[in-house]
Amino acid sequence: MRHLHLAPRAFLPMREVAELTLVAGIGVEGDRYMLGREAGYYSHLPEEGRQITLFEIETLWALKRDHGIELAAAEHRRNVTVEGVPLTHLVARRFWLGETLLEATRLSIPCRHIEEVTGKTIFDALINRSGLNCKILQGGIVRTGDPVNPA
Amino acid sequence: MGRKAITSIETVVRRIEQAGPGIKHLTLEDPDEWELPPARPGAHIDVHLPGGLWRTYSLCNGPQVNTRYEIAVKREAAGRGGSAILHDNVEVGHTLGVSLPRGGIPVPSGTRHIFVAGGIGVTPFFSAASALLHRGERDFMLHAVFRGEPPLAELLIPLRDQGLATLYDSTTSRPDIRTIIGPPAPGTRASCCGPAGMLEAFDNASRDWPEAQLHIERFVPPPLAIDPQAKPYTLVLSRSGITVSVPAGRSMLDAIAECGVEVPTSCGGGICGACKVGVLEGKPLHHDRFLTPDEREHSVLACVAGCAGGRLVLDL
Repeated sequence: MRHLHLAPRAFLPMREVAELTLVAGIGVEGDRYMLGREAGYYSHLPEEGRQITLFEIETLWALKRDHGIELAAAEHRRNVTVEGVPLTHLVARRFWLGETLLEATRLSIPCRHIEEVTGKTIFDALINRSGLNCKILQGGIVRTGDPVNPA
Repeated sequence: MGRKAITSIETVVRRIEQAGPGIKHLTLEDPDEWELPPARPGAHIDVHLPGGLWRTYSLCNGPQVNTRYEIAVKREAAGRGGSAILHDNVEVGHTLGVSLPRGGIPVPSGTRHIFVAGGIGVTPFFSAASALLHRGERDFMLHAVFRGEPPLAELLIPLRDQGLATLYDSTTSRPDIRTIIGPPAPGTRASCCGPAGMLEAFDNASRDWPEAQLHIERFVPPPLAIDPQAKPYTLVLSRSGITVSVPAGRSMLDAIAECGVEVPTSCGGGICGACKVGVLEGKPLHHDRFLTPDEREHSVLACVAGCAGGRLVLDL
């Protein structure tokens, strides 16, 4: 895990933190999509797999290399930025994120909202590599640098 | 789907200060003092008012302060009621929804800036001046024209005292904008914000200037997500028995939502398929990258679709 981010309400910039507290079946403590908070742009469309979201740091590198787009880890608006973890392969599988156990429900899809928030034309460039939606089976605290392992 | 989508940034009114004749200076912050979405110098935001109105105001604080949106609102007696609501009905502690900041006054580095402001139109230049000073740049002059008492004196007078603002009380003398901005010069930009008469005078006075060195501040509407070539059409929601006119460029999904009919939506960009709707009559314009050729014969993705003819009947 390279970067951890959260934001308490829709539209607000994501803030980088050293650790996140994951609550099983609920979400990331303090994040807009945590169940009971419902302060996210998509909170009116409840979804189990939106408890925590992941993103590949390699996509940020590819955006720079192939499209000349500088996108910071805070701008993709997913909670966890991982390196060396092929997220596409994890759909419908369980895996360990540090001490927590996640189950990937689906690939994330980009949304026009992210262009509005970042002011960058990135919708097309993010198709098929916009991250992973997961539910939290076992909660705990995850920290930058923690490993990601198969379950 | 009882819950409504969140469409604005939630802010709390932290301070309201009297800031000149009929002017209130409001400071908006996130409820937890979280950073707010970034703005360019002199950007503007839509403020959603109680009762469903919204009005656009320039930010007067520099964007380097990322936890506050400060706006200055002049009570317009002959206005449409937005400023009166902000003056009379909004108090410290109230919650106001605002849009993402848009637009702004371009202030590239290494450039001399001439700012020409009329009345309350001075607000975005405080933001621009603050951004320049924050970068250690002082090569600008704010020319503020007003009637009687100056607007936002607590911001304007310190700039004047540093030799960065010139004040003109139009009750005693009306300045000549041509004299203020002078002939075009390389490395110099001239910007104007104020009432329509002043914008016109500025436009006339800057005829000899290259377009790239000028900025006239007009509030920019939010960009249309849909093809600007789109044409207006009539939308019929068959099962609901609703007929509605959709203006050119308006999103079909928004038009449907306004009729009170709910269609699920997610990506907003025609790739996820959440807003797929059946078509009963009419020829749609497909702008999605999701439907198969077969599906296109009898359905649309409402987030990006338009209408090729004058009428489209949906199975809703």
